Amino acid sequence: MASIPNLNSLRTGRRGPRLRGGRGGRAIPENDDSSHVEAAEAGRDKVIQQTDNDASSSRLSAVALGYLDDPYAPVFAAQGEQVVRRYPIINRGTYVRTTAIDNLVKRFLQHDPNQRKQIVSLGAGSDTRFWRLWTDAASASFAEVEYHELDFEANVNQKRASTRQSLFISDMTQKAEKGGWRYHLHALDLRNLTNKSPPPIPNLDPELPTLILSECCLCYLPPDTATSVLQYFTMNLKGLLGLALYEPIRPLDAFGKTMVSNLASRGIHLQTLQRYGTLEAQRQRLRLAGFNDGQGVRDVSQMYASETWVSRAERVRVERLEWLDEVEEWQLLASHYCVAWGWRGQGFGEAWQGLEGSRTSSEDRDDGLG
Amino acid sequence: MSDLDKAIAQLRACRPIPEIQVRELCYKARELLMEEGNVVSVDAPVTICGDIHGQFHDLMELFRVGGDVPDTNYLFMGDFVDRGFYSLESFLLLLCLKVRYPDRITLIRGNHESRQITTVYGFYDECMRKYGSANVWRYCCEVFDYLALGALVMGAATELQPSEAAFADANSQATMPSDTEDIEIEILNAAGQVLSRFPRNRNQQKPPQQDTSQLSDPPNSPAQDQTPARNGAPGTGATSSSKGSTPNSGGAVLCVHGGLSPLIDSIDKIRLLDRKQEVPHEGAMCDLLWSDPDEIDGWGLSPRGAGFLFGADIVKCFNHKNDLSLICRAHQLVMEGFKEMFDSTIVTVWSAPNYCYRCGNVAAILELGEDGSNAGYAPRSNGEVGRSHGGVLAERGAMEQRAGPGRRYRVFDAAPQDGRGMPAKKPVADYFL
Repeated sequence: MASIPNLNSLRTGRRGPRLRGGRGGRAIPENDDSSHVEAAEAGRDKVIQQTDNDASSSRLSAVALGYLDDPYAPVFAAQGEQVVRRYPIINRGTYVRTTAIDNLVKRFLQHDPNQRKQIVSLGAGSDTRFWRLWTDAASASFAEVEYHELDFEANVNQKRASTRQSLFISDMTQKAEKGGWRYHLHALDLRNLTNKSPPPIPNLDPELPTLILSECCLCYLPPDTATSVLQYFTMNLKGLLGLALYEPIRPLDAFGKTMVSNLASRGIHLQTLQRYGTLEAQRQRLRLAGFNDGQGVRDVSQMYASETWVSRAERVRVERLEWLDEVEEWQLLASHYCVAWGWRGQGFGEAWQGLEGSRTSSEDRDDGLG
Repeated sequence: MSDLDKAIAQLRACRPIPEIQVRELCYKARELLMEEGNVVSVDAPVTICGDIHGQFHDLMELFRVGGDVPDTNYLFMGDFVDRGFYSLESFLLLLCLKVRYPDRITLIRGNHESRQITTVYGFYDECMRKYGSANVWRYCCEVFDYLALGALVMGAATELQPSEAAFADANSQATMPSDTEDIEIEILNAAGQVLSRFPRNRNQQKPPQQDTSQLSDPPNSPAQDQTPARNGAPGTGATSSSKGSTPNSGGAVLCVHGGLSPLIDSIDKIRLLDRKQEVPHEGAMCDLLWSDPDEIDGWGLSPRGAGFLFGADIVKCFNHKNDLSLICRAHQLVMEGFKEMFDSTIVTVWSAPNYCYRCGNVAAILELGEDGSNAGYAPRSNGEVGRSHGGVLAERGAMEQRAGPGRRYRVFDAAPQDGRGMPAKKPVADYFL
């Protein structure tokens, strides 16, 4: 689960032009005195903090109900947070998203297992994937991994505190280290990677085969900035390179329009959504960003119905966990999120062989809507 | 002003009534519902409504569009509670109206009128939040157990009197049937303007969903198209096989929340069920509240984990055997507000616009007019047993379809945002972030 990059906090005290154009009309009066601006920004920070909690509590709900097996999730829950039961469609969506990204990651780590690998998770927030993967590493014969998480300082501080306070986590991290799995947590504003002299990412190995993960992260950046962030990695990493994205799509139909306006009213702006609003636009984006040896995309609804992503046995198991009454709503919600993957280099093509993600006739409907 | 009228006024303002009054109301409502049969008979004219789901302000919009109680005769097909912010106010208002005007409003049970479902989908939490205890939830659940399972609308006219309203789009008037033709379907917007009309005997009829685009968003969006393929083409395909020459002889219209059951082949069998209980996990009563029509042959497993899927053959056979011209049901979100299927032998009516404040759909209600010759044919409350004998049917061709009633759909959007006083604490995890 990604936390949302806290762009607003970076603007504190900055004079000069503000990023008003792309921010959905949430204009700030130019003549406001600074205390007002700071208060407004603090308020927005809080909204963003709460959405981060949303993500972690959605995961907790899915874990508590048996959708996901993740003993590490409670460690990163907000302090004193009770498990709040989410609606069944949210639990199912959390399940599909997590297992789909896991599938891409695991295939990557299982391919050529003697070759050391690297994972870069953008806006990782309270994600538990490093520890979950390590738990399976021996039995699943995963390659050894340099695991990098990048996020804003506030989020990184919180995560660092959690990992240190929890004996369970710190113990696992140490064991992983002995097994050749290294965990790196970087406090880094992604936008700074687009500077002329970007800050270094310590221990990032430019030679290792690398998979970049962005679960609802790049979509909060202005589109050109998101492109530049990807360019940073495609230019600085020399070896095999793969990217796995999880993002909202289809902003132009009735559900999509409502989604955009509802999130905007919470101060959340999906800045890349209009540009990459269809599955085909996502493929094109990956191709142009340098992942030109192959691209695949599926929406979450397709993934849930596909044996490749959710086996029949798993689907039966999941559907027994809860009565899901809202079948039509599930179709709507799930068709507005996608997982996209693209790569540069033959190794990824082999690792991800059989994951069908090319265009289907059902996408023709998107054409009329751009 | 009686206490009941005061409670109605208070609830219309979206303010909950005190617990003690809820208890009294629920007691009275139970007494009333207890006397109803499993299948209530309702005389046309009637306005049939689908799911409400606690969207109180949209319920007020529905009354504005469809007319107020008791001026308009209403039939609500269940799912009053859960999901929306105001399940309590919505359900209690409907219940007050039922007690106040028992002959002008009919409430039947939806799958959300259940203890188990309301603890998952919000009504229980809402009662706890608003009263601090589960008492009110418990009183309401006791009422749920007495709600009828279905309704049979009698005396609906096959001919639709064209409304005298203006056309929403003046250009479309030319392409529509003239007033002298027999109108089978008319679609109006919230302002009462005609969006489209469909005559009974023309073969080249187009699905009316094309015209609902004037109301809100383009109908051919990927979202709707990606609702399961089993839903078939959205909108209606008005029947061309119906007998235009025999007006006003339409069969009855069965209204039920979900659909049919493999255990039920006649309406009389519904009448024999013991309904006064929590909705079971399986069996005929469960199926009536949970099943969905689908583009399949026969019966199929439901993705909901309860009830079944049933195909066109099942509907046509059931309608024929029971002398029905139409089954009217709710239960499934349809982006256009209503959807006719299987040569207009079954229709889904959905009355919660922008469902969950998230789906962007429009809502609809269905008006069935009164057939003068048949008025007062059947009394309300316990419909007579033994309608579906087969004697008359034997004279008609095998599986011949009854001419459906004339249908006027009123389509409407969500109530304006500013008027609804959204609660400060919005629900979280509406989306994946």
